[in-house]
Amino acid sequence: MKNLQSLLVAVALAVCASGNAQAGNVKVIANASVKADSISGDEVKSVFLQETSSLRDGSHVEPVLAKGGAAHEAFLKEYLGKSDSVLQTYYRSLVFTGKGSMPRTLGSDAEVTAYVAKTKGAIGYVSAGAGSEGAKTLQVR
Amino acid sequence: MNTSAGSARWTDGAISFNDSLSDKLRIGIQLHASQFGDFGGPNLQVDWATGDYTISDKAKFAAGKVKTVYGLFNDSQDVDAVHLWVLLPESVYPTDNKSFLLSHYGGDFYGRINLGKRRGSLSYRGYAGYRALDMNGGYMKNITELSGLTFNTAPGGNVFGGDLRWDTPLKGLQVGVSAIVMNLDGKASAGSIHVPYATDPVIYARFERGRFMVAGEYKRQPAFLEFRLGPATIPSRFDAQCWYAMSSYRIHERLHVGGYYSHFLDRSRDTALPAYFSKDWAVSGRYDLNSYFYAKLEGHFIDGNGLGYYNSTNPAGLQPKTNMLAAKIGFSF
Repeated sequence: MKNLQSLLVAVALAVCASGNAQAGNVKVIANASVKADSISGDEVKSVFLQETSSLRDGSHVEPVLAKGGAAHEAFLKEYLGKSDSVLQTYYRSLVFTGKGSMPRTLGSDAEVTAYVAKTKGAIGYVSAGAGSEGAKTLQVR
Repeated sequence: MNTSAGSARWTDGAISFNDSLSDKLRIGIQLHASQFGDFGGPNLQVDWATGDYTISDKAKFAAGKVKTVYGLFNDSQDVDAVHLWVLLPESVYPTDNKSFLLSHYGGDFYGRINLGKRRGSLSYRGYAGYRALDMNGGYMKNITELSGLTFNTAPGGNVFGGDLRWDTPLKGLQVGVSAIVMNLDGKASAGSIHVPYATDPVIYARFERGRFMVAGEYKRQPAFLEFRLGPATIPSRFDAQCWYAMSSYRIHERLHVGGYYSHFLDRSRDTALPAYFSKDWAVSGRYDLNSYFYAKLEGHFIDGNGLGYYNSTNPAGLQPKTNMLAAKIGFSF
C-alpha cells in the first residue's frame, strides 16, 4: 500500500513536471514599444486570434507566428488550443470575410526575434532557451 | 443542371487582396466567381471591398461593400475552404441566394468588450446600407416564376441590422442573436414588385471543444410581397420557419466528419405539401490532402422540395423526396 502511494505521488509529480516543462518550452516576446512587461494567457489568445489588436495598457500589437517547429506546437497547445491546420483555417476565414489578414509567419526563432525586435508592436514566441536580443520577454500570468 | 445524371456545373473561386495602410486603417477587396447550375456565371463579382478603421477594440468602422454578419456563417458561406460542409444548412443559408445575402453596400460599426474571466466577452455590430437582388440568383428566378415579370435592373432596398454574440465563460461556448430589417422595390416593363420592411431575426449557439463541435440556429422569416401587373395588385406572402442542428468531429488532423439536420417550413401555406417544407439530413466528410488541397464528400436525404427547386428547371414536376451525393475538391492558399 505504501509502495502504491509512493508510485502514485511519483506519477503525479511527473505529470505536473511535464505540464510545466511544456509551458516552459516557449516564451512570448514583444517589441520594445509594447509597454507591458506581463500579459495574461487570455490576452495572448485574443491577440493571436486577432480578436484584439491592443493590450490592456493600450499598446498596439501585431502577432507574428513561427512556421512549424517545437516552439510553434507548444505555443498552439498552451495558448490557443488549436492545431496548426485549424488555426490556418481560422485565419483564412478572417481573410476571406474581410475581418483580418494572415499574420506574418517566419521560419526560425532567430527570424522571429529579429522581426519582433525591429517592428513596432510586434509580438511573437520563441523557444524558451532561444536568444531574444533586442526584444523583451513578456511574463505570461 | 441535370443532376439526375450527375453534373459538374458547380465551381466557385475567389481571390482576395488586403493591406494595412497604418495601425488603424486596413483596406481590402475580394473578387469572386461562382457557377451553381443555372445560378451565378463566369463573371467576376466584387464579393466585398472595404476600408476598415480602428479607433479601439471597442470601436471600429467598416465601409464599402461589407460582408453581412448574420448568424454563424452568413459572411463565410462563400468560403468553401473554411467549412467541413459542401452545402451549409439550406434552411438558413440557401446557396441559390448566397450572392444576395452575403453583403451590403454601406457601413458597419463594430467592436468587442472583454467582460472579464467570469463573464467572457461580447462582440457587437450594427450596420446600415443597401443591397440588390442578384439577377442570376434564386430570388429573381422565384419572382419571375411567380409573377411572369421580366426585370432589366435588379430590385433592391435598404437594409439595417445588427449582431450581438457572447463568448461565454464556459470555454468554447458562443451564443448570439442577429437581426436584419430590409425592404425591396423593383420595376419591370409590365409591372413592379414591392416588399415592405420586414425583420428577420436569428438566434444561434455553438460549442467547440477540442475535436468536437455542435451548433444550431433558429430563424423566422416573414414577408409580404406585392406584385403590380398593369392595374392589378397581387399580394403574396410567406412565413419561413427555419432551423438546423449540426455536429462534427475531427478524427485527426486531416479528416473531419459531421452531420446536420436542416428544417424549413413555410407556415403561411399547407405544410403537409412537399412544396412548403424541406427536411434535410446530411452527412459529410472532408479530407485535407495538405495545407492547400482538400476533398469533400457529402450525402443529403431530403424530404420535401420547398427549398432550392424551381418549376422552370423541372418541367416534368418535382419529386417529394430527393437523395443527393456531392463531391468537391478545393484549393486554397
